[in-house]
Amino acid sequence: MRTPLPLPPKPRGVAAMPLVLGGAVLAVLAVLPLFEKSPYTHHIFILLFLAIIMGEAWNVLGGYTGQYSVGHAAYFGVGAYVTMILLDKHQVAPWLGLWPAIVLSLVVALVIGAITFRLRGPYFVLASIAVAEIFRLIALNWKDLTNGAEGILLVSLPPLVVGGKTLLDVSAMPAEQAKIPFYYAGLGLAVVVIAVNWAVQHSKLGYYFQAIREDQDAAHSLGINLSFWKNLALLISAAFTAWAGSFYALYTGFIDPNNTLTTDVSVQMVLICIIGGIGTILGPVVGALVVVPLSEGLRANFGQVHALVYGILVVLVILFMPDGILGFVKKLATRRPAPAAPTAPPGTEVKA
Amino acid sequence: MTVFLQSLISGLLVGGVYALIGIGLTIIFGVMRVINFAHGELVMVGMYITFFAFSLFGIDPFVGIVIVIPLMFLFGAFLQKTFINRVLNALPQNQILLTIGLGLVMSNTVMLLFTSDYRILSTSYSSGSVNLGGISISEPLTISFLITAAITGALYWFLIKTDTGQAIRATAQDRDAAQLMGVNVRRMSVIATGIGAALAGTAGALISPTYYIFPQVGSAFTLKAFVIVVLGGMGSVVGATIGGLIIGVSESLSAAYVSSGLKELFVYVLFLLVLVFKPAGLLGKSRM
Amino acid sequence: MSTALPEKAVAGSNILEVKHVSKFFGGLAANSDVTFTVKQGTILGLIGPNGAGKTTLFNCITGYYPPSRGEVLFKGQLMNGLPPDKVAKLGMVRTWQKVRPLAKMTVLDNVMVGALARTNHLGVAREIAHEQLKVVRMDHRTDRLAGGLPIGERKKLEIARALATKPEMVLLDEVMGGLNTAEKDEIIQLILDLKKRGFTQVVIEHDMKAIMRISDRIVCLNSGEKLAEGEPREVVSNKDVITAYLGEAIE
Repeated sequence: MRTPLPLPPKPRGVAAMPLVLGGAVLAVLAVLPLFEKSPYTHHIFILLFLAIIMGEAWNVLGGYTGQYSVGHAAYFGVGAYVTMILLDKHQVAPWLGLWPAIVLSLVVALVIGAITFRLRGPYFVLASIAVAEIFRLIALNWKDLTNGAEGILLVSLPPLVVGGKTLLDVSAMPAEQAKIPFYYAGLGLAVVVIAVNWAVQHSKLGYYFQAIREDQDAAHSLGINLSFWKNLALLISAAFTAWAGSFYALYTGFIDPNNTLTTDVSVQMVLICIIGGIGTILGPVVGALVVVPLSEGLRANFGQVHALVYGILVVLVILFMPDGILGFVKKLATRRPAPAAPTAPPGTEVKA
Repeated sequence: MTVFLQSLISGLLVGGVYALIGIGLTIIFGVMRVINFAHGELVMVGMYITFFAFSLFGIDPFVGIVIVIPLMFLFGAFLQKTFINRVLNALPQNQILLTIGLGLVMSNTVMLLFTSDYRILSTSYSSGSVNLGGISISEPLTISFLITAAITGALYWFLIKTDTGQAIRATAQDRDAAQLMGVNVRRMSVIATGIGAALAGTAGALISPTYYIFPQVGSAFTLKAFVIVVLGGMGSVVGATIGGLIIGVSESLSAAYVSSGLKELFVYVLFLLVLVFKPAGLLGKSRM
Repeated sequence: MSTALPEKAVAGSNILEVKHVSKFFGGLAANSDVTFTVKQGTILGLIGPNGAGKTTLFNCITGYYPPSRGEVLFKGQLMNGLPPDKVAKLGMVRTWQKVRPLAKMTVLDNVMVGALARTNHLGVAREIAHEQLKVVRMDHRTDRLAGGLPIGERKKLEIARALATKPEMVLLDEVMGGLNTAEKDEIIQLILDLKKRGFTQVVIEHDMKAIMRISDRIVCLNSGEKLAEGEPREVVSNKDVITAYLGEAIE
């Protein structure tokens, strides 16, 4: 292996840059609906936020911990269905129904983790797909609970009433404004998930998750209880995926096994992460910025092609950019030789 | 009792075709250690080729196999050379994602070209059945089983008796050692993928008279193929043969006794149980 | 997650007892009725031709898999069936024959992973990591990716990482394999220093000169069985040991 050239020392103050930039972007996004009134633009941003949430959530388990679940649709579906069923059949307000959905997704995650985490690599992937399919078949066949293939249609979103005062009534809003509450909810949740990812990466969790990803056996021998930490990663991942599912259900107003529990949904989450760069905080954001406009743009002109595009994207990324866009950029950046240091011929070791 | 025998027999007949799919998958895995998530889509492609050969040229599906085998072999070889060969040393997760992507491309291209309308291939004997002592046996399934048996026999002969077949087995057993002994492992990988695709496509051709044909039909077969291969042990052709029959029978029995909608569920649950408790397969042979 | 340090072994006590340990893989006996004891603060050399079962023994001792028969006692406590992470928390840690760096993480992060076995605070872990990297003289390489290191540094990194877990006993599996003379000398010095600081060590090594320099006692395995045990001079001049190595180049 060629000895890499010495890296230039990281200039201080660079760490502050991302925060400043992030803050600026956030500020712009926060006030955007005041300037941009088109509901379609709001819609695109909401899809973007949803994609970011799903990608960041998957990233905790797949990117950091290296457990590639291609069956995360199971948690998405649990989130969507529990919220909708509680709302549709028991008139439980969605902001209340969200919590049982998340709790149930955690329970489901623990069960799935117990079954699948003893499996490694591709076997784990297969098991995760099988589990998601089982959920889809249950949703398809348990018609009393889920309406089967007909799905559940949201008639209208109940008003948010706190202490007798109606704070928000989406069903009473004019069409141009009806998406705005979802815009802010989506933005807020996206910020939260990104913050969670950041917190994970800068804590013991991040170190342990990545150690598991890099070499499970080595990690095990260093005092890391694999089962505990994998499940922890899964719980965080599942909770936010379920939250995304719940959000999706309320926003689109219609769910069926086909748009919440299929392998397509699972693959989407994985795709968003690998396009951007697995195991990075901003990777899913980059991935979302590629996938959502592309798929929307194509849908407008060519109809149902987004799955085809996903497939092509997956193939291209795996073949040519397995570390994602961010990884590719990083490789370009570190290939540049240090300006001051003499170029050492390959193979010699620079002794300190 | 008749219900039981009936289900058992039709399960075995279908199981034969499943076995072909499983064998194809296990050969690909055995030679390259790649888990082909697009395998069901290869079955689907075989189905469509057969359908169009029949509807456009009137070629009987079972006769059409003569076209399907070489076409699918070439297609598989193409896939290996163009895509799969590049990821042989990548993370297994990435290999899986690549084949998932390929599968998506295949099924969605077919959908774009031919719409997602369900097609039915109706031959004169599509609903024909043979009556054997009170048990009704589907005619097309019987014919396909016989053809499957013949093909499987030919495949075993190929793997055991021919030089190329033995080279393939050597590559599957120990790639480096085989290479050191002069085997062109790259070529073996291409051939293995070709064979795998041909088997999958043939399976598609064989069941086309009895299954709805639509672009997404592949995904059910992919997962089923994995259950079969895990059951029989990754890389074991004999295991895949037996696994296919077992899955065919369990599916048939659960459809008869539980509910037809849940028969797939049953297969997946079985899959998880095997993965968790006997990951080396029922026959205990595993290379992972 | 408990990060507390366990009770330390009494100086001079039998910190590790391997009693009639056997390990079968199908029909193959990788270890067969192996028995020996390691005294706290000493260095045991574990030698034997390739395939003798040395790494298998390490795996049994550290919980990678349980022994098929026999007992492993660490500080008087039965270890059979304990998983590797619990073994590490109890104070016994190992390095790997084929090094296992956490490739996409930096040198510092690698060692911090070890340190986090004893603390939940990143700041404390970072300090511990710097300390251990100083011990192996790699404190200037903290920002390098572990996967890009040359073999000598990977070996040292693995030692530093293991030491960061604050063990009482370290099992080194061919830690000098593939190193040049200067690097080997560095490792030998490190092992001797660790002994001075009170660590107990079991060292698997093929380099006989090195083993002679560092070991207080030697156990020789052959075909899974214990062939000989005793003072280094005794074992190395033992006729059976020499015969076992014939067919292999003796350094």
